Amino acid sequence: MVGLSLGEQHFIQGGIAQDLRCDGRKRLAYRPISVETGVIPQANGSARVRMGATDVIASVKAELGKPSLLQPNKGKVSIYIDCSSTAEPAFEGRGGDELSAELSTALQRCLLGGKSGAGAGIDLSSLVVIDGKICWDLYIDGLVVFSDGNLLDALGAAIKAALSNTGIPRVHVAAGASSDEKPEIDVSDEEFLQFDTSAVPVIITLTKVGKHYIVDATSEEESQMSSAVSISVNRQRCICGITKRGGAGLDPSIILDMISVAQHVSEQLINKLDSEIASAEAGDDDES
Amino acid sequence: MAGKGGANPATYSPSPTIQKKKAPLFKEDWVRPDGRGFHQCRPAFFRTGAVNAASGSAYAEFGNTKVIVSVFGPRESKKAMMYSDTGRLNCNVSFTTFATPVRGQGSDHKEYTAMLHKALEGAIILESFPKTTVDVFALVLESSGSDLPVVISCASLALADAGIMMYDLVASVSVSCVSKNLVIDPIFEEENYQDGSLMITCMPSRYEITQLTVTGEWSTPKINEGMQLCLDACAKLAKIMRSCLKEAASDSKE
Repeated sequence: MVGLSLGEQHFIQGGIAQDLRCDGRKRLAYRPISVETGVIPQANGSARVRMGATDVIASVKAELGKPSLLQPNKGKVSIYIDCSSTAEPAFEGRGGDELSAELSTALQRCLLGGKSGAGAGIDLSSLVVIDGKICWDLYIDGLVVFSDGNLLDALGAAIKAALSNTGIPRVHVAAGASSDEKPEIDVSDEEFLQFDTSAVPVIITLTKVGKHYIVDATSEEESQMSSAVSISVNRQRCICGITKRGGAGLDPSIILDMISVAQHVSEQLINKLDSEIASAEAGDDDES
Repeated sequence: MAGKGGANPATYSPSPTIQKKKAPLFKEDWVRPDGRGFHQCRPAFFRTGAVNAASGSAYAEFGNTKVIVSVFGPRESKKAMMYSDTGRLNCNVSFTTFATPVRGQGSDHKEYTAMLHKALEGAIILESFPKTTVDVFALVLESSGSDLPVVISCASLALADAGIMMYDLVASVSVSCVSKNLVIDPIFEEENYQDGSLMITCMPSRYEITQLTVTGEWSTPKINEGMQLCLDACAKLAKIMRSCLKEAASDSKE
């Protein structure tokens, strides 16, 4: 929680109304984003994203598992977010649980698509090794290192970066083993398959303060919000998920307006992220 | 790939058979399993005063989805809570073990609880009961699709029954996108094969959306269509809820 005096509250609200926020940004401008990839050598892919002071890490681990009976031709992806108590004392013990659960479900909604798997940012059928028997289970874990607002957007970006950094080992299936009960497989530790992340959407949270809405709110600005809508948009400008936070009601026309603003902003954000990820990956290769 | 069907070990889980039976259901011109039109909701039934011990309660039945919600309070907040000059709302959604086809699989409790809280808090005038807490406990007796919208609508009716001050009744409706068609108020089978879903919770008289979730990939015109469909259905649902309250009030007078 942010303790703000009445004067400070008015200052923030007034600034947003005049399209000049406390840090000099306009309403629809992001803080500088920096992306580092491959920060966790133990994981198959990882990335650290900083948006202003907000600092998050995402890691992707792949394990061989069994596909579920209902969807034998699909792999499994689980997303879990941990709000560390190092980020904020309020997250200590069970304090961060509620926020963790909220962020996890919002990210699942945005990245995993409908129940049939349509519209998912991650192509689940590419994770199958043998139909109905062996698939890759992706465990995506996010960690909030420091929270200064706009966690969802930062985590979405970090997951996108971590996935593009992910190499999944190539699996060789012994020939003629597919009809056996247990097929013999050989996991290669040299050959890795890159993950296609062009379909992974970005998340844009529009925070409504007073009559206007802003992107990339700091935690001080978030404390003044009446409601926020997180919209995930992919490269084709399709909506991949919407989550609303904050209790206050919104007029339907405002929501539609927010959607079109998010679609507009998404283009810049996707391009910015892609170039950041590309340069981070390039820097990574130089070092190794 | 070869060896998919035959090699499967014998299993008691009903899931694989469901898949084989239901998969061809959603082809080009399919009919909804319960014979409804795509834009037709299930008949809704509401009744207030389902639980005597609670300060307010409601029972809702949408097809096979059956939900009971009781509201306790406003009562004193727990001692550990900090002082607050607005009231608190405490929600919980649980499933009976027999609510789902497979026993004890009513999942997403936590998610539903959080969503119910967010859907209601914008509609309740929390300033009207400072320092106290209102508890909203929802129990899904039978889950058969669109559980959360039914829980939310039923909870707002229970709150009204308990005499908690609200800006407006809250009605909630979801649509599913199944093979390019938008189907309103989906049942369990349809939800399992949906490509996307959109749920709107709104206060119809104020024309305000308190909660909105979208999953799956949607184009802008489709979102518009889905939202309009939901908003219209919410307005109709609120009318049914209102008439249920009026009925209960006139009954108690007699």
